[in-house]
This record gives sequence, structure tokens and C-alpha cells, in this order.
Amino acid sequence: MSPASRMRTAAEGEGRGTRHSPGAERGEGEQRALLEVTDLAVEFRTPDGVVRAVDGLSYRVEAGRTLAIVGESGSGKSVSSLAVMGLLPDTARVARGSVRLAGTDLLTLSRKEHRARCGEQVAMVFQDALAALNPVHTVGFQLTEALRARRGLSRADARRRAVELLDLVKVPNAKARVKEYPHQFSGGMRQRVMIASALAMDPDVLIADEPTTALDVTVQAQVLRLLAEIQAERNMGLVLITHDLGVVAGVADDVTVMYAGRAVEQAPVVPVYTTPAHPYTRALLRSIPSAAGTGRLPVIPGRPPSPAAMPPGCPFHPRCDAARDICRTEVPPAAHPAEGRMSACHFASDIMAGREPAPEAGVTTSASGTSVPGPKGDPDD
Amino acid sequence: MTESRPAGAGLVDERPEPGESVLEVRDLVKHYPVRSGLLRRSAAAVKAVDGVSLTLDRGRTLGLVGESGSGKSTLARVLVGVETPTSGQVLVDGEDVTGRSRAGRKQLRRDVQMVFQDPYTSLNPRMSVNEIVGEPFAIHGIDPAGGRRAAVGELLELVGLDPDHANRYPHQFSGGQRQRVGIARALALRPKILVCDEPVSALDVSVQGQVINLLEDLQEELGLSYLFVAHDLGVVRHIAHDVAVMYLGRIVEQGPEAEVYDAAQHPYTQALLSAVPVPDPSVRLVPAGGAVGASSSDGAVAGAGQPGVGGIVLEGDPPSPVDPPSGCPFHTRCWLAPTLPEARREAASADAVRGLRLIPQVCETDVPALVARGSADAGAAGAAAHVAACHFARELATPGTGA
Ligand SMILES: Nc1ncnc2c1ncn2[C@@H]1O[C@H](COP(=O)(O)OP(=O)(O)OP(=O)(O)O)[C@@H](O)[C@H]1O
Ligand SMILES: Nc1ncnc2c1ncn2[C@@H]1O[C@H](COP(=O)(O)OP(=O)(O)OP(=O)(O)O)[C@@H](O)[C@H]1O
Ligand code: SF4
Ligand code: SF4
Ligand SMILES: [Mg+2]
Ligand SMILES: [Mg+2]
Repeated sequence: MSPASRMRTAAEGEGRGTRHSPGAERGEGEQRALLEVTDLAVEFRTPDGVVRAVDGLSYRVEAGRTLAIVGESGSGKSVSSLAVMGLLPDTARVARGSVRLAGTDLLTLSRKEHRARCGEQVAMVFQDALAALNPVHTVGFQLTEALRARRGLSRADARRRAVELLDLVKVPNAKARVKEYPHQFSGGMRQRVMIASALAMDPDVLIADEPTTALDVTVQAQVLRLLAEIQAERNMGLVLITHDLGVVAGVADDVTVMYAGRAVEQAPVVPVYTTPAHPYTRALLRSIPSAAGTGRLPVIPGRPPSPAAMPPGCPFHPRCDAARDICRTEVPPAAHPAEGRMSACHFASDIMAGREPAPEAGVTTSASGTSVPGPKGDPDD
Repeated sequence: MTESRPAGAGLVDERPEPGESVLEVRDLVKHYPVRSGLLRRSAAAVKAVDGVSLTLDRGRTLGLVGESGSGKSTLARVLVGVETPTSGQVLVDGEDVTGRSRAGRKQLRRDVQMVFQDPYTSLNPRMSVNEIVGEPFAIHGIDPAGGRRAAVGELLELVGLDPDHANRYPHQFSGGQRQRVGIARALALRPKILVCDEPVSALDVSVQGQVINLLEDLQEELGLSYLFVAHDLGVVRHIAHDVAVMYLGRIVEQGPEAEVYDAAQHPYTQALLSAVPVPDPSVRLVPAGGAVGASSSDGAVAGAGQPGVGGIVLEGDPPSPVDPPSGCPFHTRCWLAPTLPEARREAASADAVRGLRLIPQVCETDVPALVARGSADAGAAGAAAHVAACHFARELATPGTGA
């Protein structure tokens, strides 16, 4: 049976068939979310004062579906995932929000309970895979650390399981390689080891932070297919953090685009590419270096704001090619320019329709009514 | 046949114009001994780099792509002098630097700087960004005009970081921000050659573009040469003048960027190019989760080795570099070999046809040389020839046009 048909069977077994809204703000979804993050805010204490690295992030992860989180470096993708896992460093704290796993808000639990719940049901592949592996222990030992500690596996069983796991992620010669040390593995191999170790506990939800960044494209394709296969078999929810918009297009069902600690756009994968509703998404799509093109790369001017010095109004306004006066003073609320779509832009409908916002169109509209999702103008003709 | 340029010009046998090449690598080998069990006999070796020759010209960029574990980082580490080669030569400005003294190596490290693959482990967590970026000045006892602090500030500005953050420590930056710190540090001494190992893979696209454009500006301004290792073929295409493709410690194809991308000759390069994920959700790598009418990439998943959704799918696992395949190192996964008429002819003559993977015998027995194939219609002067290491590359370049 091919992975694809397995996947369909798994999906039908759940009696699903409709598409779902990506954002948690549309909470009454027909499909119960495995993991639901609502209005999450995370702060760090730094020498420059308290900075907010994540500010009001919401998303939901459903069984058998893949949510891709993309965004600028430093936009809070990793930090928000660490908050979900209960693994924030001591200098950080969750300022508000909830993280619901099978009905329980993990953030109301003690840190220890939080981690214990995650250990069984949510696993994470960390971005810094190379640093996460301990150089003094064999790969096999590290792969089964959790299994031995939590499930009390014997040494022999653990060794056998380690070989299985390495096989699962297609590390050649697994039997011999479990006895080797991390430095003997290439970057790509180590990344696969990290995926294997995340899968050791059969999680319901896997958060993979840049899991294929170190891999070449042929192996990346293998690993992504492998993840999809495992996901289908277990009806696992997958959160894929990546900056590769090619990968997102190839594997995601839903997309959350982050900027400066916030979700700026959320939608099913197809419309994100065909009709982006946020200028940042639009600019990102334009700056992809393509294997078909040469020459100067189009870039988004400037740099992302530091969380310590967030600009007033829309955090993207200093770099936005559609910015108007209102953008410099008013934080854009979440607009819903179409069914299942969210864009945090004053001109979401215009952008989605491929129109430039009128010079001062936003000023009066938004000043009068905050519940109006976008400025005047219907996205449909 | 009119011969405009000799095959393999500027690569292996021919010496380039004197003064043109800033870096030359000759038949470089790096093996890591594997000590087996209690006996601690080094019976085998990881053949991480297994006979690589290349030339890097002044002011140009050579892109190095290839399979994970194919030896790109190892090659990079040997080039910057972090590791010593098992055999072969590295020449910087015509001078052999492989057998240098410690002082000589220090000079080499000034001329050849490295930007590392991994921003997490390459920065000392106990040093502030100011110390990290300024360290090369300290090591080499250099006092830049205007003072070290100002120079560091300029470098940070150059790579798109806020100079006011110079007192911060690496853990206070995101992964992408840390990578930029590494680039700033590598640029501190204005080296001749920058060896960049996946320098932008941790950055998101908008910042990638800035860094690549920045590297291009610096190259123009300072005449820098880059060896640019990356697995993102889009990024490589934008920055590289020439491209080399590695597989299992060897270069299997090399040539000017446009030729390698638009007229790839080696089946591995073709698989690589076809696997590049495209930012178009109608081209799915995996079927949509539970969606109606999931795309039919299952044929590809089954490993039919046919171009399809997500490109040419390579079968099997990458072979171990301890025991690389005989003949063509790619023969265990080559999608082309089983489709060749030679394979079928040999199958018919063989007495045992047992559903084995049949490929031309020459693929299993003879190492294909890295030479110009097909119409060796050499480009502009100074451009490297387009070479490929495949016995059947010619057929690929001109499909159907026999004899
Ligand atoms: N320990 C820390 N102390 C202070 N600030 C921090 C700390 N860790 C992260 N930050 C800040 O929080 C913000 C979000 O960082 P995060 O690592 O989540 O980014 P990211 O989206 O994962 O970026 P990348 O794509 O580069 O990995 C950044 O501005 C970063 O500087
Ligand atoms: N110190 C070492 N000892 C033993 N083997 C090593 C060592 N360093 C690297 N290797 C092996 O050499 C081979 C080449 O590794 P290298 O890191 O150069 O690959 P790479 O092309 O950079 O891969 P990636 O794209 O995954 O970074 C791999 O098989 C790796 O396991
Ligand atoms: S709100 Fe204004 S500045 Fe922000 S993204 Fe929309 S148009 Fe640009
Ligand atoms: S020599 Fe044979 S096995 Fe090697 S790439 Fe060419 S066709 Fe494939
Ligand atoms: Mg991150
Ligand atoms: Mg590497």
C-alpha cells in the first residue's frame, strides 16, 4: 500500500473531508484540534529591559494535517515552540495565552507536569540539532534515553529500538551506526537522528523546527515524504517550522506567516501563494531565490525590528511597500478577507485582490469602525 | 570535429593563466580512519573527500552542492587549514600551503576565512558579539583604523545587525542573527578567499537575499573569491559563477552556472535539480493531509525512479563513504543506468534475469572520468569547461540523436 493511499485511508477513518480554518480564533471548528495555541505572548528579561518575542500568536494543529510556520529570522518561531513544550529558558516567561493539549491548558500546569505531558504526546525536533547531541555519548544511547527513562526499556531492547529508529529515518547501516558518536555523522545524518529521537515516543503532535535545513534536496524530499508517511500512519499532527517557501508549498496544508512575534497571515496553503493577503507574505514570495533565475535577488529592505524597539503601529510598516499613514500609528487588527483566512493588515482585502490601497483610504474607515475587517472595497468583482 | 578548447581546461591538467587563479586544489584526499572495536586497528577509512581537483579564480564564486555527507564541509575545512589532507595539494596564490609551518598556517588563515554551517556551535557562548567579531584583530595583533570597537560596529552594520547589540551574547540572538555574526567575524580581516559553508541556510528568504547581495557587493569591491557550499540550488545559482556537484567525496559535474543548471549532464545533478521544491502549491511533494483529491505522487513515492511530482526520485540510501560502490560511485542509485539500452542488451545475454537491478556493466566496473561530454562548445574565455563524470553523459546531452 502506498503512503498516499494510506494517508487517504487514515483521513477517511477520521471522517474528515472539509478544509479547516487555520487560526484558533475560529475555534468552533468541526475538527477537534490536537493542539491549540491561543493568544500566546512570551517575554524575555534582557539587559535592555523586558522584550516581547512572541505577541498574541494563535494556531491549531489537527490530526493528520501539517501546519507550516514561516517567517523572518527572529520572528519568534522557535521561542513560541519552546513555550508550547515548556522548555523556555529561565529568563523567559509566558505573559499570556493558553496552550491546550487534548483539552488541558498546559500553561496552568507546573513546569514539571507540563514537560511530562509533552514528553508523551508532543515531540520536538530542535533547530540546533548539531548542538543538541551530546558528543560523549553514542548516537544509539541518546536516541533511547527517553525510552529507557520513561518506559524502562532494557539495554538490549533499547539498542534494538535505536536501530529501528535509525532505519526509520533511512540512516544507512543503522546497526553499526548506533554505536558511533555524533561527530562521525554528517550534518544531514545528525538531523535525521534528531527526527528519529523525536519519534521515539510515538507523539501525537510533532513540532519540527527547520528539520530539513541541513539536508540536500534529494534527501530533503525523502525526509519530507518520510515525515508525511509517518504522519499518515499515526494520524499525527505536524507543525513544520521552515523558511523554505518551496518546502511549505510542497508539504503544508495550512500556513502561518509570522513577523515580529505575531501571526501576520494565516490561510490554507494554496491561497497564500496565489492571493497573499499581507504585504509581508507578498514580499517573501517575491524574494525567493529560484533555481531558474540568476542576477540580483529582490529583497525586503531594512531589517526586522528588534523586540526591544518595536515600531508603533504595524510592526512591518518601516519595510512595507504599501504602508499608509494609518500604518504608522495603529496596530492592524486581525482581518478576515475571506473564509478561513486571516491577515493582520489594514488593507488585507486590497492586498488579497492585488490592488494597491488608496493613498489615504484607511484613515477614515478604520477610525470609525474597528470591526470592519478591511478598508472599503469588496475582494470579489 | 573542431576543437576550440581542450577538454577539462582550467580544472585538472591545464594550468590556468598565471595570477588568475587564487586557489587551486589538486587531487585532494581526506580519509578518516575508522577504528573497529577492541582491536583498535584502523582497518577502514571514511573516504570523506576522495580525489577532488578544482580551481577558484580571483573575484569569482564557485558554488559547491551535493548530497548530505558527500564531503563538502570536509573539503571546506581542509581548505581553511582546520584539517590536514591525507594527500593532495592546496595552492593559494600559486603557493603550496598543505605542508606549511604553524606561522605559515596563520597567514593562510588570514587569507582564507570560513563562515561555518552551524551558527550554534561555531560561536563561543561566553563571548560577547563584540569580542567574537573583534577576535580576529586580537589574534593577528591588528588595530584597525578608528579602533576595534568602531570596526566591529561597521562589520555588524554591514551584515544587517544592530551595532548597539554588540554587548549581547550569542544566545540572545535568533539562529539567523547568529549566522550574521559569523559572517561579520569572517570578514574582519578582509580575506582573499571566503569559504562559506551553508552561510545562509539558517536565514529566511528576505535576509538570505540581503546577505547574498552583500556578499556580491563585497566581492566586487574587494575582489574576494568565494567557495560557496550550499544545498539550496536557487541560492547557489544566484551567487555562483561556476558550480561543482559532489557525490561521495568526488566531483561528478562542474561547469559554468548556466550550463550546469540548464543543461545538466550527470544523472545525479539532474535528480538534484528536479528535487528542488518549487514555491507552487500545485506541485506537491507529499499529498495534502486528508484533502479530497490528493495529488498522485504515490508513484514517485514507490520509487519508480521516474520524473514525476517532486522530480526524479532516487532509490535506496546514500552508500557509506567507508565502502563506496565500485566503478561509478552513483551506480547504486542512478535512475538513468537501468533505462539504458546497454543494460537491456546485457540483461538479455545474461543467463540469470532475477528481477535484479540491471545496469550497464561499465557503470559497476569503471570509474567515469570527469571530462567534457557532448558538444564541448566552450564558452567565453576564462569560463571553466563543462565536465561530467558519467559514462553516458553524452547521451543525456543529446537525447535521441545517435551517432
Ligand atoms: N534567551 C533569549 N534572551 C533574549 N532574547 C531572546 C532569547 N532567545 C530568543 N530571543 C529573541 O526572541 C526573538 C525570537 O527568537 P526565535 O529564536 O524564536 O526566532 P526564530 O523565528 O526561530 O528565528 P530563526 O528563523 O532565526 O530561527 C528574537 O528576536 C530573539 O533575539
Ligand atoms: N571527524 C570525522 N571522523 C569520521 N568521519 C567523519 C568526520 N567528519 C566527517 N566525517 C564523515 O565524512 C563524510 C563527509 O562529511 P561532511 O560533513 O564533509 O559532509 P557534507 O557534504 O558537509 O554533508 P552535509 O550536507 O550533511 O553537511 C560523512 O560521511 C561524515 O560522516
Ligand atoms: S498594515 Fe500597513 S504597513 Fe502593515 S502590512 Fe498592511 S499596509 Fe503594510
Ligand atoms: S556512469 Fe552509469 S551509473 Fe554512473 S551516473 Fe552514468 S549512467 Fe549512472
Ligand atoms: Mg528558530
Ligand atoms: Mg556540511
